[in-house]
Amino acid sequence: MVELILCGRGGQGVVFLTRVLGQIAAAKGLNVISSETHGMAVRGGSINSHLRIGRFYSPLVRRGHADFLLSLDHGETANNRHFLRIDGLIVENSAQEDEPGIRRIDATRIARDIGRIQLENVVLAGFASRINGFPVSGEELRAFLAADPRPAVREMNLKALEAGLSWE
Amino acid sequence: MGNEAIARGVIEAGCGVAAAYPGTPSSEVLESLVRWKKELGHPIYVEWSINEKVAFEIAYGASLAGNRAMAAMKMVGLNVASDPFLSAAYLGVRGGLVVVVADDPGPHSSQTEQDSRFFGWFAKVPVLDPGTPQEALAMALRAFELSEKYELPVLLRPCLRVCHARQNIRLGNPAPLKDVGRFARNWTRWAAIPKYRLVLHGQLNEKLQTIIQEEPESRPRLVLGDGRAELAVITSGSVSSHVRDIAAADDRLSGLDVYKIDLPYPADAAALQEVVDTHERTLVIEETYPVLELQLKDRRTVLGRLSGHVPPQGELVPEIVEDLLRSAADIPALERTPVEVKPRRPSLCPGCPHRPAFFMIRKTFENAVYTGDIGCYTLGINMGAVDTCLCMGASVGMAGGLAKAPRPGDEHRVVATIGDSTFYHAGVPALINAVHTRASFVLVIMDNGTTAMTGGQPTPASPSLADGSPGTAVDMERLVRGCGVDHVQVVDPYDHAALKETLESARKHTFDEGKGVSVVITRRPCVRMPGVEISLQRFRITEQCDLCMSCVRDLECPAIHYVKGEKRMEIDQDLCAGCGFCVQVCPSQAVEPKGA
Repeated sequence: MVELILCGRGGQGVVFLTRVLGQIAAAKGLNVISSETHGMAVRGGSINSHLRIGRFYSPLVRRGHADFLLSLDHGETANNRHFLRIDGLIVENSAQEDEPGIRRIDATRIARDIGRIQLENVVLAGFASRINGFPVSGEELRAFLAADPRPAVREMNLKALEAGLSWE
Repeated sequence: MGNEAIARGVIEAGCGVAAAYPGTPSSEVLESLVRWKKELGHPIYVEWSINEKVAFEIAYGASLAGNRAMAAMKMVGLNVASDPFLSAAYLGVRGGLVVVVADDPGPHSSQTEQDSRFFGWFAKVPVLDPGTPQEALAMALRAFELSEKYELPVLLRPCLRVCHARQNIRLGNPAPLKDVGRFARNWTRWAAIPKYRLVLHGQLNEKLQTIIQEEPESRPRLVLGDGRAELAVITSGSVSSHVRDIAAADDRLSGLDVYKIDLPYPADAAALQEVVDTHERTLVIEETYPVLELQLKDRRTVLGRLSGHVPPQGELVPEIVEDLLRSAADIPALERTPVEVKPRRPSLCPGCPHRPAFFMIRKTFENAVYTGDIGCYTLGINMGAVDTCLCMGASVGMAGGLAKAPRPGDEHRVVATIGDSTFYHAGVPALINAVHTRASFVLVIMDNGTTAMTGGQPTPASPSLADGSPGTAVDMERLVRGCGVDHVQVVDPYDHAALKETLESARKHTFDEGKGVSVVITRRPCVRMPGVEISLQRFRITEQCDLCMSCVRDLECPAIHYVKGEKRMEIDQDLCAGCGFCVQVCPSQAVEPKGA
């Protein structure tokens, strides 16, 4: 059983990322239930999604129960930190250095270098997949994104994924 | 997603006609039906109706014709559809008729926290209340069966946490269209006058009694425990899933009996009472009104909303459910990580055509009352250009009332703003009323060609229908003129000079010359719609900037922010959509195009 919170600003692809992770886990035969934010908050506001892998009925993670907090925006991390377990890990898109309990990658800069700022989410996912205990592996992400029927989208996503996977 | 699961159930039930008006958290039901229709080649007819009342009537008409039919909406949409909904309960249906009404406890994206189960009770319509997407699919199928069996509309009430939950679920097979045979005239039923309505009301009451006796869903089902605990929990719907997870995960709560009820109205009150009578205490956890609790006759040992134990407003999130369970089981309260939430407020997108419109409205009509409406453009609040937001279409109706009730010495200038979809939905009758009564206000219709807030569903002005098939575009200018408005102007809100001139001309017509209501249509497609090209032009802020903050305060552009420590403004090049409106409105002319 793994519980995750994903957060960011509207437009950063939090919902997309949640679906990708959820679909990969579900394809492995795991029970997955998640909850998304839609509506007004999506217009640049704070958004988060909950993703629970295991035997659950409810799609919501309780405070103090998330194993991972994936944050696409440094400012949103604090808004969602209370969901994290005491020994949980934050994986954050930020230019700052790692701290105990926080792993960071400058996904914004990497995505901009690739040429599409919207790829931040895929970069972050690639980076997170290297972490011990993360429910989805880099290989699984690669296989999933490679199955996109749109050649241009596929190529960009894979590029972003590799950048996240190989980031030092 | 829960809404996709419901749509799948509709397809598997062999439903022939589906109509909806978009509204969070219900919009994906019809969108998914469009997808299933295309992917499976299913013959179902789907439409985005002009409003929820019409959507219900479309579905009702199809049911009378013998088809299975569905209408989908959010809970406040049911308020709009309430007139035909209540009447249809009396008349009954032919083909199965399911009304999907999505509730939004919280509320996250709505005006109220109303409980549609309570609405079902009020209308005497059976209500199914799913706890998970998988259950929502099964209940959609079941709703059609019950509807046809009892010749009654059936309400399927998913909450947000079911609608927007995603879960891996088992699918069944799509069914060919079901048909109960052609419509036959019978005016004592389908056009019943009051005398026959009395008879029909009696029949409706009998049907509800039969449902309680015959349908197992009306009785509480033990989902956790052995039935011999001291403490029982009665629950229904999406909150029941929190209850089940929390009770199952905590050893100290393992001695709990959890009862779930799938049909909270009409519930078998005797069976509910038996749960209460066979336990020392019973906690009732339901959203958002005490529907099950009120159906209990003896509540002396019941902990719920009526006893003050359960919060009377707000979403019952898992933490609250956990606190309620622990308190009822006499387990000490938990200490939790403190919450430090400073949520970012939503704002209009960079490049949104509503932004220059609001900016110029504020500039042109100072000291006005700005009545607003429901949609993305409610966010005009951030720019000080929206003072009211009541319900769909109320900007126009309320503008009429504000204009008729001036205070002495007040200029009582009123400017209403409404989006195109909302105008079609409920603004049109109010505009006719304003023309007829010579109400004096300016109406700005912000026409971005779509229902943007809910994800871009087509409006009646679109030449194509929900599934892409051709429709007839209803021309907005002709419609406005047809309402009796003489002064109608269309302008591109990106055109600074023309926008100013157009709004000034409306001001002159309505306020200076007193010629009655005038309408300005600000027309430019939503920047989020597919095919809308975002300008690649970018801008920089020069040294002429005197930090007046007008761009942040008045224009409220999310791409512009103050850089602390450096005492300067910066444009976020990733967020900027290149509209260039900042160049035109900066008081110090401190914004210039890059490469200029």
